[in-house]
Amino acid sequence: MSTIEKSTKAARGTAQCENTNINLLKANDYVADIIKKEMAKAGTLLINITSSAGSGKTTLMQKTAERLKDKLKMAVMVGDLETERDAARIRETGIQALQIVTGGICHLEAQMVHQVLDQFDLPSIDLLFIENVGNLVCPSSFDLGEDYRVTLMATTEGDDKPKKYPKMFLTSDMMLVSKSDLLPYLPFSVDAVVKDAREVNHEIEVIQVSSINEEGIDEWCDWLLAKIQEKKG
Amino acid sequence: MHETSIVNSIMRTLEQEFEAEKLSRLKGIYVKVGILSNIEPRLLHNAYSAFHLSNPGYQNAELHIESTSLKIQCEICNHVTDVKNYRFICENCERPSKNVIQGEEMLIHKVEFDD
Repeated sequence: MSTIEKSTKAARGTAQCENTNINLLKANDYVADIIKKEMAKAGTLLINITSSAGSGKTTLMQKTAERLKDKLKMAVMVGDLETERDAARIRETGIQALQIVTGGICHLEAQMVHQVLDQFDLPSIDLLFIENVGNLVCPSSFDLGEDYRVTLMATTEGDDKPKKYPKMFLTSDMMLVSKSDLLPYLPFSVDAVVKDAREVNHEIEVIQVSSINEEGIDEWCDWLLAKIQEKKG
Repeated sequence: MHETSIVNSIMRTLEQEFEAEKLSRLKGIYVKVGILSNIEPRLLHNAYSAFHLSNPGYQNAELHIESTSLKIQCEICNHVTDVKNYRFICENCERPSKNVIQGEEMLIHKVEFDD
C-alpha cells in the first residue's frame, strides 16, 4: 500500500493548493490488506486466476478439484458479469464454489471478495481460488490480497498477448499456457509467448497445461501443494 | 465503464480526505496516471464530464490529467531505462528488471481550492 503524504501549502493567488499523493485504489488496497491478514490467520493459500474469456479457467478449476480434493480442502469463488453457470460447473466436482455476480463490472475488487469471505470456513480450507472475470486488462490493477496471481494464456488466443496486455503479465507470478492439446492444429509458438512474457516479467514461471489430455496438470498440482506447504510453514 | 468507476473512486477519496465545506470550493483535481495503469486520459475526461450530469456539486472543478511514461531502475547498476516495446531490460547492463519507478501510478497528486 502506498503511503499517503499530505502537506498544506499557503494560498497561491486566488487558489489554495494541497499536494497529495493519494493512490486512486487506496480503498481497494486497504481491503486487500485485510484479506491478506485473514488468510494468514487461517493459513489458507489464496490464488487469483486471471485470463481472457474462454481460455479454460473453469475447466482448469474442475480438473484441479478432481486431482486435489482427496488430498486437501479446496474452494473456489468465481466472478462473472452474469449467471451462476461457472459455480455450478465447479460444484459438480464436489467442492464448495461461490459465484460473485458483478452485474456488469469488468473485474473483481477486494471489497467484493471480502464481502463473501464469511461464506467460507477459512481455517478448514487449504486452498482458495478466486476465478476472476475473463479480462486481461482491468483485473490487473486490483490486488485481491492473493498470495499468487496466475494467468492463463490459451493457445487459441495467439502467442502475441503478453506484449499487448503487459500489466497483467508483469503482475503475474505464473503463466499457464493452456489448451496445449490444440498446439498441433494452431500457428502458436510456445517459445515466442514465453520470450514475450519474460521480456515483460523475467521472474514469471511457466507451465504448459491441458485440462483435456492432462499435460502439465501434475506439475501444476505439485506447484500448488508446495505453495500450500510454504504457507502453512 | 472502467473509467467511470475510477472517477467515482476519485470523488469518494476526496470526500474522505476533505471536509464538505472545503470541497464546495473545489477548483482543480490533478491526477497522474502511468501508461501501465490502463487508464486512458481521454476516456477519463469523458467519464468525468458524465459524472457532473448526475452530481452537480462539483461543476467548477477541472480535472487535469498527466500521463507518465514507463521507466525502470536496474537493481544491480542503478541505471534508469525508458521502457520501449515493453522490454523490461536495463539498457546499460542488459539485465532484466521489474523495478518500475514510473508508469504504474494512479495518483491524485494535487487538489486546488478557491479561496
